[in-house]
Amino acid sequence: MISPEAFRPYAPRMSLAAIEADDDAALARRIIARAPARDAAAEQELCRRLGPRIRLYGLKHLRSEAAAADLMQDVLIMLLTKLRDGGIREPERVASFALGTARQAVIDQRRGGRRRTQILEAFPLDLTPQDEQPDEPIDAARLAGCLQALPERERSVLVMTFYDDRPADAVAAQLNLSAGNVRVIRHRGLERLRGCMETAGGTA
Amino acid sequence: MTRAAPCNTSSQELLEYWLDEQPDETREQHLEEHLFACASCTERLQAIVGLGAAIRRVFAAGALNVVLPESFINRVKDAGFRVREYKLEPGGAVDCTITPEDDFVVSYLRAPLRGINRLDVLIEDQTIGRLRANDVAFDPNADGLVTVTSSVFLRTLRHSQQRVRLVAVDGTNERVIADYTFNHYPS
Repeated sequence: MISPEAFRPYAPRMSLAAIEADDDAALARRIIARAPARDAAAEQELCRRLGPRIRLYGLKHLRSEAAAADLMQDVLIMLLTKLRDGGIREPERVASFALGTARQAVIDQRRGGRRRTQILEAFPLDLTPQDEQPDEPIDAARLAGCLQALPERERSVLVMTFYDDRPADAVAAQLNLSAGNVRVIRHRGLERLRGCMETAGGTA
Repeated sequence: MTRAAPCNTSSQELLEYWLDEQPDETREQHLEEHLFACASCTERLQAIVGLGAAIRRVFAAGALNVVLPESFINRVKDAGFRVREYKLEPGGAVDCTITPEDDFVVSYLRAPLRGINRLDVLIEDQTIGRLRANDVAFDPNADGLVTVTSSVFLRTLRHSQQRVRLVAVDGTNERVIADYTFNHYPS
């Protein structure tokens, strides 16, 4: 992979604290103000902030880690390109622009990924947020113990829900319960599970 | 541009969004606009998604004893997991094991469940002693109960016998539905 830093000169670096204190719109303004030069620190911080939001959106709608990672990269590339080219006139709407771009990219991915191929041919960049830390791992043994300690119904409903992210009505139909009842059981189970993990010193 | 949701979004609502339970598309779009503008809610949703993925991994690792419907087991099999299955009639006994190739061991305990509101499972095991699983999840219209026994636990067993009893509970009254016997042998 080629780093985006290879393509454009760096703008003078802001201090990290100053960058982190900016909101999304302020970061967008910095990037616009520096164009056609780059404010690499502002770009990186904006990617660090919006990257996880785009990735989650992709996971929700595409249900694939790989597809969500691709979506994140595509949307960040398009977002930074638009900012540098002056295509975003209202920097305070930068998050809305990212969402709109993500929505369109998901529609395009479902149509077969033609747009992605075109994007990567034009911008062969790696824009994975560099500061993104992997999620804090959950202690599997501890979680198994906490799940096993749940009331039977709660354990069944949580496994049925999260095995393949099933909504309450689908779980309810398999157990001859109402969807509302499943939501209550699920909610209680998750609360109890979080409490157990916190008591046991795990992360949940 | 639609109005963004306020930042008092509950974990329940975030989970409902994740599981496609939002009642309409407009509400889902409001929430997405909020999520894109709110790092805090994104982190909370990430935590929910991460916990769900961890539950999935723990289940897939065979670390849980859990009662599940037969249709769910069929999805597990369709996904490519290798499932060793034992089917028992009321009063039945079976010699059972787990091999290195098995991902799950599933028991189908045939029993008349119609009209039962609460079902408990009593276990008497030579290795772990007596256990009682209260108020298990079951479909009274099904012709029995399906249990998944922890593969992790089964792999630790030498020869062992386990008796299982299904009990219908109605207030303070209990009624035995059926007994089953598992004679486990290591593979």
